[in-house]
Amino acid sequence: MGKNLKFGISVNANDSLRGTVEKAKVAESSGLDYVWVSDSTVQLYAPIVAAAIASHTTRIRLGLGLMSPLLHDPQQIANSLITLCKEYGTRFDLCIGTGDRSQLFRAGLDLGNTLSLPAAIDKARTAIASEIRHAHLKTRIWLGAQGPKMLRIASNFDGILLNYSNPEMIRWAITRGKLRAGPKFTVGISAPSYVHSTMRSDIFELAKVASAIVALGTTRSVLRRMGILDEIDLLREKADRSPSLEEISSEIPSQIASDFSITKKPNDLPSYIQELSRLGVRHAVFGYPQCHSVETVKELADALARIR
Amino acid sequence: MTSVSLSVGLTSSATDAEIASIASCAEQNPVHGIWTGEDIGSNKDIFLQTYSVMKHAPSKYVGIGITSPLLRNITTIARVAETLSEANPTRFRLGLGVGGLRDLERLGIAFTRPVQRLESTVDALREIWAGEVLSRNSEGIELRQYQARYRPETVIPVYLGVRGPSLLKLAGKIADGVILSGPVSYIEKAVRIVQNQRTRRTSRPPRVVAWLPTILTGRKADIKFAKTVTATVVADTPRSVLEMSDVDDDAIRVQDVARRRGYAAASSSVTDELLNHFTIAGGADHICSVFQSLGKLGVEEVVFGPPYGRRPLASIQEVAETWART
Repeated sequence: MGKNLKFGISVNANDSLRGTVEKAKVAESSGLDYVWVSDSTVQLYAPIVAAAIASHTTRIRLGLGLMSPLLHDPQQIANSLITLCKEYGTRFDLCIGTGDRSQLFRAGLDLGNTLSLPAAIDKARTAIASEIRHAHLKTRIWLGAQGPKMLRIASNFDGILLNYSNPEMIRWAITRGKLRAGPKFTVGISAPSYVHSTMRSDIFELAKVASAIVALGTTRSVLRRMGILDEIDLLREKADRSPSLEEISSEIPSQIASDFSITKKPNDLPSYIQELSRLGVRHAVFGYPQCHSVETVKELADALARIR
Repeated sequence: MTSVSLSVGLTSSATDAEIASIASCAEQNPVHGIWTGEDIGSNKDIFLQTYSVMKHAPSKYVGIGITSPLLRNITTIARVAETLSEANPTRFRLGLGVGGLRDLERLGIAFTRPVQRLESTVDALREIWAGEVLSRNSEGIELRQYQARYRPETVIPVYLGVRGPSLLKLAGKIADGVILSGPVSYIEKAVRIVQNQRTRRTSRPPRVVAWLPTILTGRKADIKFAKTVTATVVADTPRSVLEMSDVDDDAIRVQDVARRRGYAAASSSVTDELLNHFTIAGGADHICSVFQSLGKLGVEEVVFGPPYGRRPLASIQEVAETWART
């Protein structure tokens, strides 16, 4: 059932370098295919974290990103990727995209005219791909995307990581973006995740916050389509009045976690993966807080092993 | 006289193999640390190179010397430093400097008020590392209610790679260390400026590091090589530094020839006096003796920097062994 999908876990959120490396080692020994190293303005620097993981693993593929070309010059992203491949071998992929708007804004980057963002991201892809070719390397470049405008440039990439978990929304994105999965283009998803056999309320709260971040960054047209625009607008008002989402986590409806994360019991995972497979999804990245501890990484890997 | 430590310097133009071999060589020899300098425009990631140095030289102090805050968002510099600090706690040092003016021009980066820019950068970095919520909109730094999710367990020392008098004063006031490069007569004056700021701070005065192009020479042909290196160094030295040295007329002549006819042609205008001022060239005993003499000027750490000699690894080893013996 899950044989035609690659499974990965996203790391480097609220963790130390040593902790992240330990979890990546467990991901490798537990049979996962990918470790994706996320990059945000408030966490450790992804290329160095990826280098540390590469130093302590041998087989698992490593994804760098999402790296935002609005935060890092495309030349610098290319330099990082090329330096990693030359030093640790060609087991790296790259994912680029806009990144979290709220975090970028806090780091002084005003995204301005959103109409020009897809063009800027695509221009960055061209520049990075050219540098990779000059270095005689072959590396897949993925697009991290969600909204309809960004979906339009997806076919220029080697794959897309949709920031959705809900099958209905994935189906909508595939149709709207005219995404044609095949040997040269992979459709994948990357979403907050909490696959668990015993629910821990503290980790569930983290999953709710991670889901709310995705929900708040979702295009209004998509939210309207899902029928939750008013609910998210209300959450946005509360979030604007609060220093952080964690502080209002109790006010985030649990439904947000259902809609925007992969929060499931291991027994519910097979049917979900089957549905993803039917939609043409071939790559699934289980995001924060699945990397919360070595145990939560193992729990995911065990659940996926049963599917394979 | 100040006790002097010997370190090795390399730049981001070095290949991965060169970095690995130089760092491993340093690890096996009695050197204090390794500094990696960013060549703006090289297609390497200086931060990954620094991590690679740490892996190959785990017992040594490792520093970035230097990178420019004008090239990256300040939040990126802050988290790069934290990540490297976690990779080798207590042994990482962050060096910052404005960067070469010509390189910045080439990249279309315009800026004014370098003193205020560097001061503001260092202040903001320290506040980020302290876990403060920051809002700033001045001196090229824009942050809005920004707060990092990590907390350094150790203090990350900030060194400033500076040259002109105003920036030297700033380093004396706020930095944990200062990285100097230039003719020996300039370094003497620069150290004095830095040390004169001591009264304006409550913490330990900045550690003074001198990074000097050094060439181990044995044969006559090596002297020609050394003069070509000197011509390159002189050509890239700002006028403000030359004016603080005792050889400004000869140096300006070399700069003119370099600009019109290139470095190789300019090397024939390099006098023995210029050679001795801008580079340290000679046998290992001579090099170590010059390094030691810098201690009298207040320098605490000397960096044996590229091009080292015709055979870099053998040169580093020979100088390190001589240093340990003397």
